[in-house]
Amino acid sequence: MTPRERFLAVLAGEAPDMVPIVPVIDGYFAPKVIGRANDECYQDGACLSDALLGCLERFGYDGVLAEMGLGDSPEVLGCRVEIEGNDVPLVVETLVGGREDLERIPVPDPWADGKMEPVKRLVSEAGDEHVVLGSVRSPFEYAATVRGLMEFMTDFYRDPDFVHDLIAATRPATLALGKALVEAGVDALVVKDSFASSSMISPDHYSEFAFPSEADIIGELAQEAPVILHICRNSMPILPQMARTGAAVLELDGPVGLKEAREAIGPGIVIKGNIDAVTVMEKGSAGDVEAAVRAALEAEKAGRRFILSTGDSIPLPTPVENVSALVDNGRKYGRY
Amino acid sequence: MTDTLEKFQQAIVEGDPDESAALAEAIVNDAGATPDEIFEQLSLAMDTVGDRYQTGEYFIPEMLRSADAVEQAMAVLEPYLFAHNHDQGGVVVMGTVKGDIHNIGKNIIISALKAAGYQVHDLGVNVSTDKFIKAVRETSADMLLLSAFTTSTKPALLDILARLKDEGLRDEVKVISGGASHSEEFAREVGVDGFATDVKSTLAICKQMMEG
Repeated sequence: MTPRERFLAVLAGEAPDMVPIVPVIDGYFAPKVIGRANDECYQDGACLSDALLGCLERFGYDGVLAEMGLGDSPEVLGCRVEIEGNDVPLVVETLVGGREDLERIPVPDPWADGKMEPVKRLVSEAGDEHVVLGSVRSPFEYAATVRGLMEFMTDFYRDPDFVHDLIAATRPATLALGKALVEAGVDALVVKDSFASSSMISPDHYSEFAFPSEADIIGELAQEAPVILHICRNSMPILPQMARTGAAVLELDGPVGLKEAREAIGPGIVIKGNIDAVTVMEKGSAGDVEAAVRAALEAEKAGRRFILSTGDSIPLPTPVENVSALVDNGRKYGRY
Repeated sequence: MTDTLEKFQQAIVEGDPDESAALAEAIVNDAGATPDEIFEQLSLAMDTVGDRYQTGEYFIPEMLRSADAVEQAMAVLEPYLFAHNHDQGGVVVMGTVKGDIHNIGKNIIISALKAAGYQVHDLGVNVSTDKFIKAVRETSADMLLLSAFTTSTKPALLDILARLKDEGLRDEVKVISGGASHSEEFAREVGVDGFATDVKSTLAICKQMMEG
C-alpha cells in the first residue's frame, strides 16, 4: 500500500497494512527543518511548501497538511497579523468592534494573490503517493479571530445573539476556503475549532454556539471531501456531540483518554491522535514518545479506525529526534 | 456595610456587571468601607473565580464575565478609592510580556492601581522588550509591572531585565512580575524585585516598593 492508500483505507473502513501516521506538522515547526525562520515562510508559499515537503521526506510519514499560510492566515478575513522571527503570528488588529462591523467581514477569494499555490504544489509533488490534507478554520474560530478572542468570549454572556450573528457572518469564509482546498486537490479537510475546546468553554456553550455551526459547515463540506474535526486539549465532555457533526475523523489531543473516547463515540468514527504535542513531543524524550505511541496503538490499533498523530501542531522547540521517534515507533508497533 | 461588601464579592464571582456596579454605588454612598476592605473583597472574589476555573466549574467566558463585573464596579469606585489613597502615588509602566496575550489580570490590576493613586501607563499585551525600555525611560517610571500568565514567559522576563541593566536603567526602576503561576522561587530565578499573584498582593508589594 502507498501511504495515501493506507490513509484512505482507514477512512473507507477497510483494512490498512499498518496504522497510518500523519502528525500535525505545519508552519510552526516545518521551516526549521529546512533551516528557515517561520516569518519567512509565513509570507512565502514556496518556502512553506518547501518546508512541508522537506519534513515529509525527512521523517517519512504518510501525509502532509496543506495550509494557506501559517495558521491559515487570519489576514484572509482582513485582520492585521504580525510575526517576527520564529514567534507565533499574532493578530494585532481585529475587524469587528461591534454589531455595526458585521458587514465588514469579507468573503475571501482563496485564489487571489497566489494563496493556493503552495497547496497545488503539495498536491502535485506529494499527492500521488501521500495523502494531502487541507486545513481551514471553523466559523466559530473565524468569529473569535475577527472579533478578538477575549471580546468574543465576553459576548457569550453580554450579547449571545451577536455571537450567533458573528458565526453566521464568517460561515461563507470557511465554506469558500474549504471548497477551494478540495478544488486544489486535497484528499480531506481538517476543520479546526480550537476555541470550542472544553479547556476553554463549557460544554453548555459548546452546545449553544460551536456545535450547531460545526454540524452545519461539516454537513456541507463533507459533500466535497471527508472532514477531520480538530478540537485540541480536553474534548472529552463534548465527544458525543463531536461524533454527530458529520466528521469522518475526530482529531483528539493528549488530555483525552483514547479508550474512554472510543466508548463515547462508538466504533464507526476514525480517531486521529493523540500524542501530546507539548508534554510528550516538545518536553519529553524519545523514550517518552515511544511509550506514548505504544499506549495509543495498544488502545486503538486493533479497531483499525485509527490514524497516529499528534493532538495538535508540533511546537517549534520540539527536537527533530522526537518526530523521528514518533514515526519510527509508529511503524515498529503499527503493523498489522 | 459588611453585608453590602459580601454581596459585592458575590456579584463579581457570579459575573453580574449591573449588580456589581449597583453595589459599588452603595459602597460609595455609604462611605463606610476603607480601600483596603474593598480590595480585600476584590481579591477574595477573584480567588474564588480562579478556584472555580481550576476545578472546572468555570471556563474562560465565566472568568471574563467576572472581569467585566470588576471593570464596571471599578468605574464607579475609582474616584472614591482615589480620594482615600492619594498619598501613595508613583509612576507605573505595565504590560503583558512578549508571547503572552492574557489581559484579564493586567486590566484588573491597572484599574486597582489607578484607584490607589498611581499614574499607570498601560502598554497592552504581547509587549516587546524595546517597548518596555522606551516607556520606562520616557516616563521615568518608579515601577515596571510585568504581567506574565504562565511560566513559559520566563525568557521574555529575563530579556527585559538584561536590557534594563544594559541600558543603565536597572537601578532606576523597581521591577515586579505578576501572574497566577508566579512563586517566590520563580521570581528569584528571574531576578525581579518582587512578585504578586493577585490584586491584594500587587497593591501590597507596590506600596512596599514605594516606601522602601
